[in-house]
Amino acid sequence: MKSPTVLQLKNVSKKYEIHHEKPTLVEKFVKSKNETFWALSGINISIAKGQKVGIIGANGSGKTTLLKTIAGITAPTTGTIESQGKIVSLIDLEAGFHDDLTGVQNIFLNGMLLGLSKRQIMKDFQSIVSYADIRQFIDAPLFTYSYGMKLRLGFSVAIHANPDILLLDENMAVGDKEFRKKSLRTTEEFIRKRKTIIVVSHWVEFLRKTCTRIIYLKEGKVKADGNTHIIDVYLKEK
Amino acid sequence: MSANIRNFTELLFAMTEKELRARYKYTIFGFFWLVLNPILQMLVIGFIFQFIIKTSIPYYNFYLFLSLLVWNFFSLSLTKSTPSIVYERSLIKKAKFPRAVIPLAIILSNFIHLMIACVLYLFLIVHLGTLTFWSMPIIIAAFLLLYIFTSGLSLLTSALNVRFRDVNFFVSAFVVIWFYATPIIYSFDFIPNEHIWLWRFNPMVSILQLFQHGMLNFPLPDRGMLISNICIMISIISLGVFVFMHESKNFDDWL
Repeated sequence: MKSPTVLQLKNVSKKYEIHHEKPTLVEKFVKSKNETFWALSGINISIAKGQKVGIIGANGSGKTTLLKTIAGITAPTTGTIESQGKIVSLIDLEAGFHDDLTGVQNIFLNGMLLGLSKRQIMKDFQSIVSYADIRQFIDAPLFTYSYGMKLRLGFSVAIHANPDILLLDENMAVGDKEFRKKSLRTTEEFIRKRKTIIVVSHWVEFLRKTCTRIIYLKEGKVKADGNTHIIDVYLKEK
Repeated sequence: MSANIRNFTELLFAMTEKELRARYKYTIFGFFWLVLNPILQMLVIGFIFQFIIKTSIPYYNFYLFLSLLVWNFFSLSLTKSTPSIVYERSLIKKAKFPRAVIPLAIILSNFIHLMIACVLYLFLIVHLGTLTFWSMPIIIAAFLLLYIFTSGLSLLTSALNVRFRDVNFFVSAFVVIWFYATPIIYSFDFIPNEHIWLWRFNPMVSILQLFQHGMLNFPLPDRGMLISNICIMISIISLGVFVFMHESKNFDDWL
């Protein structure tokens, strides 16, 4: 049985204007032409439900831009992205927190940013707190948290957002050894639940173990797309 | 669709709450500042201006206080929301969510301040006898126009400021000029007749005149003023919404 497509990228390109300094209004009018850079060009990818896709490529090959456009954080310059289900990115876990608010208030704010309703957050609240393992700090303002605690809280909220498509990068193993084990277990659980997972990573062993499909990006284009053999192609070329 | 709207309003309220909480965090008086702030302003204006400025404007203290309350809401909302997208870049990088909640939450939190201050103000002026039943619709219309215009303009400036950080400085400077171009410390009838056309370009004139009429029974804006002001408001608001929708897709590229 063929799984339905949950993510379809058609001819997606992304152009960035290179700004060495922030452009000012005056410069905009004086300098009519900006330097541009195509971070992605003509990407066609269709991903079926339950696929585990690893994206590899050298630095600057457009991996992060690709994930950002899939997550909807930025829009493609041309082309379309169609997706079914909720996409949650586990990149920039510590983003979207406010240092002056308490852990509780941050859980609500962060959850809503990820598209959860207040009711859902209240329902899962205990579970979010116990997963993040921050105990008595939950009522303390976030600036008293360690970096690891913030990451754990971010990870916990994100996985409770009930994603259908999960975007990961290699930093997803966050926190101390214990938490790293727990987060890997959770990722494996998502894999078992046949969630669609897209991973950007240089961590070849992890990709080989978890992914069923590898997309090799080079200079913003899909260089190769297939099973894990692509990893060897990539390593050889490097 | 309805789920989107619900998420938008929930997020807007959560961000507004964040705005208010963050502002009064670690203050001894906490949310009491909501009330304390306008009272202090009121005392200062009432005390100082009584001695310094002698004018023919009736109820000048009350007039000035009302106008300043409205103006402070407007200028504070505008100057705070203009750089807001840049300040909240960590939220933008986090996820896909309606970006408009960032400036709109700032405006809503200031609007709550304004409403509280206005309720206090009503207690002060009730003995003047300027309030009638017909004040109510005028006051409500004034609030609505003020809120919508401030939101529309802030959407425009906050979206443009992501690309052109000059906008922030321009707005700060322009607000000062705008203050003197609006009947706040002077009343509308101080404006020489042959120059009144200039004031027709300033939408804040009608808004202030509506407040001044509703609460202190000053003259209503004339029809020409109202029509030209509302036309300008509609253009700015639609431009703001359009620019924001167009730019917000790519905020991340500039942060």
